[in-house]
Amino acid sequence: MIKESYNVSLENDLVKASLEGDKRAFGEIVNHYQGMVARTVKGMLGDSVFAEDIGQEVFINLFYSLRDFRGEAKLSTYIQRIAVNLTLNEIKRRKRFFSIFSQKGNNEMHEFEIADHNTEERKEASEIVNKALQAMDPKFRIIVTMRMLQGYSTKETAEILDLPIGTVLSRLSRAQEQLRNILTKL
Amino acid sequence: MNTSEIKKLIISSLDADADPGDISRKLEEEGISYGFSQNFGEKVLNKLFSAGLSINREVEFVKYMNFAFYRIALTGIAAIVILLISIFIMQGSLSLNSFLGLSDNYDESIVCLLTGN
Repeated sequence: MIKESYNVSLENDLVKASLEGDKRAFGEIVNHYQGMVARTVKGMLGDSVFAEDIGQEVFINLFYSLRDFRGEAKLSTYIQRIAVNLTLNEIKRRKRFFSIFSQKGNNEMHEFEIADHNTEERKEASEIVNKALQAMDPKFRIIVTMRMLQGYSTKETAEILDLPIGTVLSRLSRAQEQLRNILTKL
Repeated sequence: MNTSEIKKLIISSLDADADPGDISRKLEEEGISYGFSQNFGEKVLNKLFSAGLSINREVEFVKYMNFAFYRIALTGIAAIVILLISIFIMQGSLSLNSFLGLSDNYDESIVCLLTGN
């Protein structure tokens, strides 16, 4: 499973040290969770330079909201929520931008800068996933990202997205249908 | 894994009874992985801590303002309590007239005070 989280006491220590302005402690959190954030942000926005900016914003927001982190949820869940909110905001912003400044309407900017892969086959697999995700409705794309790229269970997905489990299950089923249609065309 | 197998795997990741953790691991093995640039962490820390001085000053200012407000509010409450006690001692009650300083005056004297007759 790809999920990564610290044990609770180490997590609390790192949060406490970060709140006291310890650069190294916060750097440790950034390094530990950047992969998880990259999967969410790049899964949602595509593998573009904008995704990296949003990724940075996620950790900057985290730093300034650490004071509000009460430890009721896991730090990874808290970070995921920030990442999901910022990514969905960016998608909304792009939609507005493109509906105003271009004739493309709701089409989003599709930039696929595929990371270095050893083989053409790997590159192709990555391209299929990216293209399929970008063609999906954002509300289904987030479910697929959480499930397929992050490996979260239905319950964890519901917790992160703050949705009832029933809603997640119904979206999973509709997302699967949409994904099936998209993949047949790819 | 060929393309159709990848597609099947992607679709099956959304099955309600699938093990998403296992599927995401398999996809990662097939090269479907995401990451930021190598110096990502450094960039974040630079953004945070280079702007840190001014932000810290702002945070300190807000802290001092909160502290000052708290002190002023406490002083105000203490003053109100002392005022109430003194009114009660001097006027013998805490009625509206006592607050307005009218409890010792008769209606006629107020008319006289206001009209000058």
